Amino acid sequence: MRFFSIIIVFLLLATSVSAECRDKDCMPNERFVTEADKNGGSIIVSDFEIYYDNVFEIGTTWFVIFEYSSSHSNGSLEFNFGKNLMKNLTLQYDGDIATDSVSFSGTSFTNEEPHKKLFVNFSSEKLSWSVELDIFVNKPPAEDMIYLWGGMTVFWLGIGGYVVYLSNKFRELGDKSGLGNGDRKKN
Amino acid sequence: MRYNREIGFVGFFLALYVLYFSLIETGPAKFFTAPNAQKLFYFHVPSGLITYLAFLMVVGGSAVYLYNKSDYADQLAKSSAELGIVFGFMSLASGTFWMKAEWGGDIVDRFLTDMRLASTLAMWLLYIAYFVYRRQPESLAVKKNAAILGLSGMIMVPLSYLSSRFLRSHHPVIVATEDQGSLDPSLRVGLYAGLLSLLLIYVFLFQMRMKLEGFERNLLKNKMEEV
Repeated sequence: MRFFSIIIVFLLLATSVSAECRDKDCMPNERFVTEADKNGGSIIVSDFEIYYDNVFEIGTTWFVIFEYSSSHSNGSLEFNFGKNLMKNLTLQYDGDIATDSVSFSGTSFTNEEPHKKLFVNFSSEKLSWSVELDIFVNKPPAEDMIYLWGGMTVFWLGIGGYVVYLSNKFRELGDKSGLGNGDRKKN
Repeated sequence: MRYNREIGFVGFFLALYVLYFSLIETGPAKFFTAPNAQKLFYFHVPSGLITYLAFLMVVGGSAVYLYNKSDYADQLAKSSAELGIVFGFMSLASGTFWMKAEWGGDIVDRFLTDMRLASTLAMWLLYIAYFVYRRQPESLAVKKNAAILGLSGMIMVPLSYLSSRFLRSHHPVIVATEDQGSLDPSLRVGLYAGLLSLLLIYVFLFQMRMKLEGFERNLLKNKMEEV
């Protein structure tokens, strides 16, 4: 049991811990919402800007940061990758230009996907628009030899550890029953 | 069982062959992000299947014990549970290493969101509970309660096995699907050899564990008679 505990603790500690930048200055791409993106509504689209990284690294939390003004207050915003992978929120305007963000877990994808579309849809009583962002889902190359040896070690340690456990139990029982090494030779 | 030692030796040497086959004879795997860690496939899948076998034997032994109070069935369930834990640990831990290399991301997050991983871990923890419960002195009540706990595998084993087919999971499904036919022949040879080797090792260890359990029970019986 102690062996299992050590391995489990090791595996838990091996989880990726990385600090993602959540500042808009870290985002290499930005997109203004323009009149051309408008689907409906009577007012002019203005002051909605999306900051993002067009490379989604699998394994790292991916953030989208956006700024908006009063024309978007109390509207519903949706970020949709398709296949039920989406985030919805209602915008709360607080009197000045507001900044907000959403994130997608680094485990949202398992395979590389070039030109993955992220649909950003906004709708309120006064206005609605849609924007399509082109995202590259990237899978960083694995430094996988260590995982191979780690995994292989598990098999041999598992079987070997259990054989040692059985052997110790047999010896313990032999001693208890008076059939220790010395007695066994006599018999 | 006669030839038990021979079975163990054959299983061990076959496992060495699978190691040679996977690490040396076949080069790095194609179509995988982690072409080296893919080699874990040859032991990861067999150890998972043997875990199911072991836990199904616990279910069978527990059911028979509850039906006719057979001491042999109880012994079988107890021994098999222990081996299921060992093989389950091998499958879960190797799968975690492979998953980390192939899928990336946070391990804890994967275990919480992927139903195959979550249900298999839950099944394993259930039998850890069974194992811990059985560490107390044997009595009729302990055996009966353990058998009831052991029977819960009747739900947990199919749930874990079928979870990647019907629930949300990234875990691939190969056995009994169209993908089985598309499995590369070289993968198939390694997989079957790995399965046979771990099966033989399982039989060997199971016989040893049954023998140990028999010794323990005889010793206890003799002591009781002396008292």
